[in-house]
Amino acid sequence: MAFNYKLLIIIPIALQIFAVSVIMNHYLVSGEFFERAIDLKGGTAITVTSGPVDINSIKSSLSAKFGTVNIREFRGISGTGIIVEFDTETDSDGVIQELKSLGIDTRGSSIESVNPALGEAFWIQGQIGIILAFIMMGVIVFILFRTFVPSLAVILSATSDILVTLSMMLIFNIEVSLAAIAALLMLIGYSVDTDIMLTSRLLKTRGSGIPKKIKSAFKTGITMTLTSVVAITAILLSSISPVLAQIASILLMGLLADLVFTWCQNSVILRWYCERRHIGDE
Amino acid sequence: MIKYWRILILAVTVFGAILAIGYGPPRDGVEIVYVSSGSSAAGILSQGMIINSVNAQAVKNIKDWDAVMQDIGNNITVVANGEEYEIEINETLGIDVIEVQRLNLDFGLDLRGGTRITLTPTENATKDMIDEVVATLRTRANIYGLQEIRFFSVRGVDGRYYVQIEAAGVGRDIVDNLLTKQGMFEAKVLKPVNLINGSGTLELGKNIHDIESVGNKTIELDGELIKINDTFTVDDTEFQLMNVTSGQVVMLATVYDGSDIEMVKTDPQSSGIFPRGGVFQFYFVVLVSEEGAQRFADVTTGIPSFVDLNSGERYLDSRILLYLDGQTVSDLQIGANLGGVVYTTPQIQGARSTMEEAIQEKLELQSILRSGALPTTLETSSIQVISPTLGSDFIQSAFLAGLAAAAMVVIISFVKYRRIKVALPLVIMGLSEVIIILGIAATNDTAIWGIVLFINFMIVVTAWWKKAEVDIFAWIGAFLIPLVGMASWTIDLPVIAGMLAAIGMGIDHQIIIADETLSGDSDEEKKSYTMKEKVRRAFFIIFGASATTIAAMIPLMSIGIGLIRGFAITTIIGVLVGILITRPAYARIVELTAKE
Repeated sequence: MAFNYKLLIIIPIALQIFAVSVIMNHYLVSGEFFERAIDLKGGTAITVTSGPVDINSIKSSLSAKFGTVNIREFRGISGTGIIVEFDTETDSDGVIQELKSLGIDTRGSSIESVNPALGEAFWIQGQIGIILAFIMMGVIVFILFRTFVPSLAVILSATSDILVTLSMMLIFNIEVSLAAIAALLMLIGYSVDTDIMLTSRLLKTRGSGIPKKIKSAFKTGITMTLTSVVAITAILLSSISPVLAQIASILLMGLLADLVFTWCQNSVILRWYCERRHIGDE
Repeated sequence: MIKYWRILILAVTVFGAILAIGYGPPRDGVEIVYVSSGSSAAGILSQGMIINSVNAQAVKNIKDWDAVMQDIGNNITVVANGEEYEIEINETLGIDVIEVQRLNLDFGLDLRGGTRITLTPTENATKDMIDEVVATLRTRANIYGLQEIRFFSVRGVDGRYYVQIEAAGVGRDIVDNLLTKQGMFEAKVLKPVNLINGSGTLELGKNIHDIESVGNKTIELDGELIKINDTFTVDDTEFQLMNVTSGQVVMLATVYDGSDIEMVKTDPQSSGIFPRGGVFQFYFVVLVSEEGAQRFADVTTGIPSFVDLNSGERYLDSRILLYLDGQTVSDLQIGANLGGVVYTTPQIQGARSTMEEAIQEKLELQSILRSGALPTTLETSSIQVISPTLGSDFIQSAFLAGLAAAAMVVIISFVKYRRIKVALPLVIMGLSEVIIILGIAATNDTAIWGIVLFINFMIVVTAWWKKAEVDIFAWIGAFLIPLVGMASWTIDLPVIAGMLAAIGMGIDHQIIIADETLSGDSDEEKKSYTMKEKVRRAFFIIFGASATTIAAMIPLMSIGIGLIRGFAITTIIGVLVGILITRPAYARIVELTAKE
């Protein structure tokens, strides 16, 4: 076989360089690494299941009265609507009155208003949550395999996965919210699943040929990821809840990134490790 | 039969969960969660009533309700709790309703609509203080008659405590007038002292203190100089100097505060509302402590009285002022017969322009006085209002999404394994996990889970007696899951996200089981493993991955307000249900298929 498997690692490395530069670029432009949603930075969001509307005209009449406003559209199986966001705590009843006067059906509206100090507290909590989850995950992985390189490879794969997903969120304009943090935590679990399966197939089974073992692990892994991807796509397409749609799209990006990191990064590191240690030679 | 004991345990647990979710009489209608004060429905309909029909049209759910409300006339007939009510409508009816809970599931605010409020103490509060705040607010809400309202104390990582309130329907007025009021109560009596040639005596019960006006609105009392608006203490009573004229000194004495109130009367003899001169006057009697009453007696000693020419009644030349959080709520004359008397049952009065406002004001005051003051002031730092329509749509579309996702998984796994006996159980297990998790969260299900616990125990004991392989996890699973099942919690968005996480992981792990045990058939090396070894290896991976997930979620259980916590707890319980009940059963099914 002329193809050197080690070259595969170029793809994950390129992806990570790309991810880091996207995040750094965002930091240089805006002074923040991530875009935070209302619940993590404070402000007011009003969700209206309005049906199709002309966003620009609503935006101009709202900003004339209430200051800087951001309007996003969302779609679902039972209707479309808009999310009206303000960076400050705004008179939400007044906004709803204004929307009503523009002829928008505001009966199914929901309001979220968060004080900036509370948002900041949630944000710190979320960050601590993710860091703690990573530490605990790492400890268990080390206990499971009790070898340095394979354990580190699993943790590295999960870390890269989260990093790339965060950069994708910046590209696709998905803000970091509490729901997004939940999705990122779910991603740690999904990412570790395939990695643990791969590592135990390679290190804990008898039999010949690392490449063959990787191939069979890949078959299992791709089925796992594929079922997750189709199930999540179904949720993404059919859900009206903007929150669930957000969780689903983050998981989708993360699972696709995980394919790269499990099969182009982790498997390469493990194969190289097995060859160096002569594991799997008969 | 005992060969299938793992599958039997799964079946019993799922059946128990279904009972836990659905057991009970059929329920229809919409429930009133909020009646706006001053609206057409106020005083006729009340919170907690279940409406079954409007204008002889049946109302089974929120859609019926919305349809009926589209064009109601000026007079409507509402059947609520089996009784008929005629209501005359001006502008709107003024009530909020939600769908009646048809299942024993407690859906959270994000799913059925409502208000979530976070209150932040204005000073750095300790845990004890916040617990006291929560207890006080609970008492207030209870006395006020608010149902379906929940209070939590939550702690941020910054160490600050917050109070979170969740209610199916609460208006902004209730938050401002009832919940964020600190409730500092004070009763003060005006104490006039007449001066002759610039000097007089302050009479407090039997004690007498000399007062001298030294000019420039300043007096000398017991050798001390006191300026206007200064506060000072005489004989354990706090005073404030209000005014000094050539003939009179007026002081304001604090006679009692919130801690002196021993009881707030609500019975019809000592509390009520009556119309008087175009306004509605409310009153209620409070019972104050002996010390407070003694202070009142001391302060009112020696105050001259006069005859009111309008009523012919005799009053003291003084007034009693009642304050709540520094604002005057009552300003009353004192009957002459009360001067110098130890009087433990003063009356609180007020007037409002409408009957409804008077009722509400009286109820708010009674609630606040009975619950006592909060140890700190609170400010509203976040409000979330979710419309019930968004909620009911959500449950419906979540159900559809779940079905679509399940169908996709069946198709993919059938394409891969070409055996319906492997693909179908994969999804059935996922569905079982949903049912079991929902059943665990269901309310009032202790008896059902007790029976499940007993049956599971019998199954495991029989299996063990018959020398089937019963490992420690089977014992744990048979006991732990029904025990956890007795708990109940609210199903909201984070909980649904947690269920998705657990089920998705469950499907992944079942694929690992199927691949480890089935696909090895063609590989030469895998033939060297027995079925038992294959299953054991699959379970090493599954336990490893599950342990990682649980470990990652454990720290999240103790931090976070609401969202992250509910997510973490549900994920952990879902993963436990998976590794202890559904995955062993799935492994058994795949083993049986492999043998064929």
